[in-house]
Amino acid sequence: MKMLRAYTILFAAAVVSMGAGSLAAPCLAQDANTGNGTSFADTKQVIGLEGLKHNVTGTLVAENGSLVFTKGKQKVVVPATSIQEVLTGKDTERALGGTVGTLTMFAPYGGGRFLSLFRTKIDTLSIQYLDPSGGMHGAIFTLTQGNALSAKKALLSQGARTSVPVEVEAVAQAKPKEKK
Amino acid sequence: MKSIRNLSPLVPLALALLSTGNTALAQDKAPTKMQASSIQILAVQSDEVKLPIEFQLALYENLIEQVQKANKFQHVYRDGDPAAANAASLVILHSNVYGFKQGSEGKRQVTTVSGATQIKVHCLFTDKAGKSELAQDVTGKVRFIGGNLRATYDFAKKVTQIAITNFQ
Repeated sequence: MKMLRAYTILFAAAVVSMGAGSLAAPCLAQDANTGNGTSFADTKQVIGLEGLKHNVTGTLVAENGSLVFTKGKQKVVVPATSIQEVLTGKDTERALGGTVGTLTMFAPYGGGRFLSLFRTKIDTLSIQYLDPSGGMHGAIFTLTQGNALSAKKALLSQGARTSVPVEVEAVAQAKPKEKK
Repeated sequence: MKSIRNLSPLVPLALALLSTGNTALAQDKAPTKMQASSIQILAVQSDEVKLPIEFQLALYENLIEQVQKANKFQHVYRDGDPAAANAASLVILHSNVYGFKQGSEGKRQVTTVSGATQIKVHCLFTDKAGKSELAQDVTGKVRFIGGNLRATYDFAKKVTQIAITNFQ
């Protein structure tokens, strides 16, 4: 009986968190100071920015000729002109992620497996840039669905370079995936 | 009975001989460590297979992070860093992806047995002149917990272990 109650609570929590996730609208705001910045809230830095841990969520801003990622007091600035490549992609992640998501694996009656069926669509943004000494770096971000192309556009407008134009990527992503 | 008595003093001798033989064999097997005080990690190439850019970048970044964490080399240089040219006893790591199977995190979590992601990489350690010092194939995998990019972390850990074992 206790197990059933725990399972019910876990399921309710999952449903609530999924609902809250879908309500969170992507934040696209023009920079008030310069009028040329675009910010993307709830961006996750998966790997690659110096001085930041993996998988931290913060705000990605393209302004004043730079890419700025802010997480609380931490701020990483990458000059847009040093960005050699910007590419976008699509992916999915568990609707219920993090530590709670991992703990659900131990839920009884395959509850964890059931919860992992609920997935959120996300966009990925990958950049390749050079540090002042010329060393190559790579960084990967995940954004809420539909924001990666806007972020790419914003970065290109600040001076970043790419081998695949935004229009080409937009067309490629609009095409349904071919089945193997 | 006599013959057993005659043989008994030989037993310790035989054991001693066996043990020295084993040590000699172990010494033969022990890898000779190569000298290198710094390493340059080049960007991961994928000439044979189409590898998504996020995997390419994650392989490279995880490699750098893991090798730095291991504290085996005095300097870890990135691809394109001009300071590497002046480094003494530098070893250069070239990585080329020759196999890639993108699994599915969802499938892994639901079925446990399917949906694994696998990246097969040919790693080559060379000196500054390009002379090959060590070549090995490494496979990065994620079978159960974690996203697909975790395979790049697994790969980086394995390559770092190879570097620790073979260089001093």
